[in-house]
Amino acid sequence: MKSSRTWKIAISVAVTAMLCQTGSAWAQEEEISVLMFSLPVTRGIAELTDQFEEETGIKVNVEVVGQNVFENQVMLAFTGRTGDLDVVHVPAIQLQRWVAAGWLTPMTDKVNGSDNAAGFFPSALTTYDVAGENYGLPMFVETGLMAYRTDLIDTPPATWEETKNTAAEVHSDATAGIVMRTSPGQGFNMFVLPMITRAYGGKFFADFPGDMSVVVDSPENLQGLDLYTAMLTESGPPGVSNINYPEAVALMQAGGAAMFIDGTSNVVPTLDPETSSVADKIGLAPVPEGPAGRSPAIAVHGLGIPASSSKADAAYRFIEWATSEDVQAQIAINESYPDFTRPAVGEHQDVADKYAAINPDLIQLRSASLSDTIPNYRPLIPQWPEIGAAIGDNVNSALNGIITNAEALKNAQAEVQEILDQ
Amino acid sequence: MQHHATATGLGPATSLSGTATLRRQKQREYLRFIYPTIFLVGLFSFLPLVGMLALSLTDYHLINGWGGTWGLQNFARLVLDARFLNSIYVMLALSIGGVAVQLLVGTAIAVGLDQIVPRWKIARGFFTIPFAVPHVAVALVWLSLFTPTLSPINAALDAVGLPQPTWFSSQTGAISAIVIADTWANFPFVMLLILAALQGVPRDLKEAAAIDGASQLRTFFVITLPLLKPALLLVTLFRFIETLKHFPLIYVMTKGGPGRSTQATNYYAYVQSFENSNVSYGAAISVTLFIFAGFASFWVARINSRINS
Repeated sequence: MKSSRTWKIAISVAVTAMLCQTGSAWAQEEEISVLMFSLPVTRGIAELTDQFEEETGIKVNVEVVGQNVFENQVMLAFTGRTGDLDVVHVPAIQLQRWVAAGWLTPMTDKVNGSDNAAGFFPSALTTYDVAGENYGLPMFVETGLMAYRTDLIDTPPATWEETKNTAAEVHSDATAGIVMRTSPGQGFNMFVLPMITRAYGGKFFADFPGDMSVVVDSPENLQGLDLYTAMLTESGPPGVSNINYPEAVALMQAGGAAMFIDGTSNVVPTLDPETSSVADKIGLAPVPEGPAGRSPAIAVHGLGIPASSSKADAAYRFIEWATSEDVQAQIAINESYPDFTRPAVGEHQDVADKYAAINPDLIQLRSASLSDTIPNYRPLIPQWPEIGAAIGDNVNSALNGIITNAEALKNAQAEVQEILDQ
Repeated sequence: MQHHATATGLGPATSLSGTATLRRQKQREYLRFIYPTIFLVGLFSFLPLVGMLALSLTDYHLINGWGGTWGLQNFARLVLDARFLNSIYVMLALSIGGVAVQLLVGTAIAVGLDQIVPRWKIARGFFTIPFAVPHVAVALVWLSLFTPTLSPINAALDAVGLPQPTWFSSQTGAISAIVIADTWANFPFVMLLILAALQGVPRDLKEAAAIDGASQLRTFFVITLPLLKPALLLVTLFRFIETLKHFPLIYVMTKGGPGRSTQATNYYAYVQSFENSNVSYGAAISVTLFIFAGFASFWVARINSRINS
């Protein structure tokens, strides 16, 4: 009996000691969760995370998912305040909305207290400022470029009118004259269309942000939309009405299109001989201009901290590391990533050599294009995702001939006004 | 029960009341066993439903929060919302078109399999495979088959010089594409139910018809089909209710396009709730869809009980 009790005590002590030890191990090892959607830079960060873990001892669970899955997952985490995310991918286009809803933690003090913020392109960093507070550090900034087939087109068109004419001239059953995004959505057709409408002087609002009168149905926007629908229906590939960037990139890589106008992250893979059968026949050019000038698309992506995270310090250390010059330079070498957010990355000799070998003009064209962009290419307001979706749906209906271009803009005008009035 | 009462040795009146008491006791006993299930169903089905109804009566917006208004304003807005009315049209087109094609295909294959059973029992398993494939996978496969630049169908048509269809460029094409994918995924359900019903058709009736010189086609239309009527009715209603909830095929194949021409009501509720952040309005759309599906379910239950009685 006595022996049995002694055994029981011994086992209890042993189990308690083990639990205490495990508990202290848990307490020592900090763990953060990171959610991003798939881009060359996010895949690159995920590959290098071991380095961060070795440097800091902080364990990182990185998840890189498709964009649609990301949006659903992040919405659930934010609205449910689950606290299971510590670092989140913040597309600049969603920033205002997420800040308005109180879903992100301000990082101003941390950014100001660190030397890390000094080397970013200023416009990329200020994109993450809302009402004087910083909500993220940029990891990716892409701008619009044109890829064209040098065996079919001698001189790339300089204006949108010329682009339409060139597309019609080279269009054949085997090779479409041009391919661009047409799927409806604020990040799909509404990523590329403003490159045309703004070149014709079109705007979303009379004088953003001072005068927010909606001017979606203006004659300038109609001129741009007329060109977009005419050019793509006459010289686009079969099934042009439902093309998103993966299909457009695949088509260009397979030699199925003569011109492709999109963001740098999608244009550059057409130059990759491993995936593109026409890599040696691709030239790069700036986005065409119109009567009101040139307006290349811009998209900025960064990393932020959800308001529900209880590990803001560890999360910020990860963000600082992931957007550092060293990590960006490594990713620029490992992946197709000319979209770095620090000018110094382009000065690394191995990075400069890599992209010069792909195309000698790439880095220079990208820098020139970035300087032509305007921050509010797509207006940075909380309602933009809804507004972009409303215009995008109507534009897609017009492209498919379900309604006329004028009707599409008239409908969009009314819907945008309704969204702003809510 | 009668046997049990007699065994107690009581008189007829007492035994009748005893039987009723015993029945009540038994019922109480049975209820105790199903209380946990009732509780769980209440917790996970009824409460969210009440939550959704409550949400639909507010003006709650994911970004703006709750403005403090309660009422039927979301339901009043529905009546005037052209996108909602369009979504009902799309939903009915997908439901009616889908169910009709699935009934034809499912019944035809069931009748064919009934003829060759039992020699080719394995064929039943073969035809049920699509039913086991997740709808997202079904949608991805059909999306690639209908995308002109990826489609082997279009490549084959192009090779022989025929025009290539562009399914997703028109409302009719896009709805047809979804109906085809839906039919491929769900005809096995119709096939299995009709096959089961065919087993109940007396063989001697068919034999008698054959002896009287009726052709197989005539036997099918005059004898088999009328006897399949209850099963056909039920399977139609089950599939109809199911098709009201179309989502994954639309989400993956068309994203509601071209334009908004394949935004069925369930998909529109998603757009309003999660793309536009109007969760209270999205809840009002869901509540309306639920009421519609509820009426359809009630109809199914009534017809089912009539058939069984």
